[in-house]
Amino acid sequence: MRSLLPAVAEQLFQDIQKTYQETSQIPDDLLIALKFVFGSCALQALDLVDQRSVTCLTSPSGRKAFQVMGGSGHLYTCFLSCHYCPCPAFAYSVLRRNQDLLCKHILAVYLCQAMAATQQESVSDQQMSTLLSPTGTP
Amino acid sequence: MSDVLTLVFRTFMSESCLKKDPGVGLPSPAPCTTLMVGEHRVCRSLLLLAAVSAASEWGVRVVFFAQTQIQSLPVFLQRCSPSLSPESLKLLQQVASLHESPAPPSLLIVDRMEGFLRGTAGASHGGFQSGEQSRAAHLSALLCDTAAFLTRALERRGSSSAPCRVIASFPSEGDGKDSSPADPILDVLDRYFQVRCTLDPDRSYEAAAAAAQEVWHIYLSGRGLTELCCTDPRSEWDSLRVGFLEAKSTSRGEASSKLSFTGSPSPCLLALRVTYAS
Repeated sequence: MRSLLPAVAEQLFQDIQKTYQETSQIPDDLLIALKFVFGSCALQALDLVDQRSVTCLTSPSGRKAFQVMGGSGHLYTCFLSCHYCPCPAFAYSVLRRNQDLLCKHILAVYLCQAMAATQQESVSDQQMSTLLSPTGTP
Repeated sequence: MSDVLTLVFRTFMSESCLKKDPGVGLPSPAPCTTLMVGEHRVCRSLLLLAAVSAASEWGVRVVFFAQTQIQSLPVFLQRCSPSLSPESLKLLQQVASLHESPAPPSLLIVDRMEGFLRGTAGASHGGFQSGEQSRAAHLSALLCDTAAFLTRALERRGSSSAPCRVIASFPSEGDGKDSSPADPILDVLDRYFQVRCTLDPDRSYEAAAAAAQEVWHIYLSGRGLTELCCTDPRSEWDSLRVGFLEAKSTSRGEASSKLSFTGSPSPCLLALRVTYAS
């Protein structure tokens, strides 16, 4: 996912990906860095990763989107190329207060990509249209 | 898309003054998303110009979204595109299904984005409620993500019309809006649009002395500005002169030019003070 993340966050994900490929673990120093950069949502995002909550949806046209199962059981559709999540935390902490870079769902997407822990699912082009449209938000 | 606007402005340059620019004939990999902020009347005219210019000069497919049907086209547009019909314009909801289209467009234009952001129930008083910020983010992200997908689709086809660009218009403060502030929405939109093109009416004495003509200033800003294809703004606009188009270089790094075109509802003189914000 091409993003508007600060360089330090981009580097952090690259380091996590490299280390995880080699050791299948995220060392403590990277976990501490993750918490430092992303705050409280870092641990929540890691929980989502552990629960295999992130799915990459692909349609026959090649269009992709990420779907994240939140802790409350809601399904949130996030985009591939820019930051957006329909969850209340994104609307409040990211958009309105500009306090956080990401919500836990988008962070979970980044972490799953770095750790190759994303589930894969195919949908039809029509289903993808429904998921992406404004009327498709939960 | 700011290179699309450059194409529009260049369309009014005379051949004798046009400096050779190898990039002017083809789409360039410039920033792909631009937010046009200003009075609706001028924004819509520019958006329509951009659509027709891109379609005619680059031969690319353009999709123009408007919430309300355009009753009539500006006079200048009717002259240059007599076959263009307002009935062919589609609504924004189809953005989400553009990946189903067999012919990917290269330019997405959204007229009056604010019209798509208001809620349906209980929002008849106008203005923006808190939910509008989230809707603004959703629609902007949808446009950006769709443009990114269409860019990949165009590149896979080996098309020279990649990348897919997005231009949307949004009213500036005081453009007939009610007391609800638009700034929170613009803050959200700025997250997704790389370039902002601000249209400001010129309220100076000179503009007032122009009687029925209106003078506008155009300002380009945003994080995508450094990627613009025109690297030297002063040389870009140094010698523009074509009939009603007059340009003069005022200071280092800044140039101004006047661009005039007739349109509905009244002739307007568009002054460009092209300022590149650092």
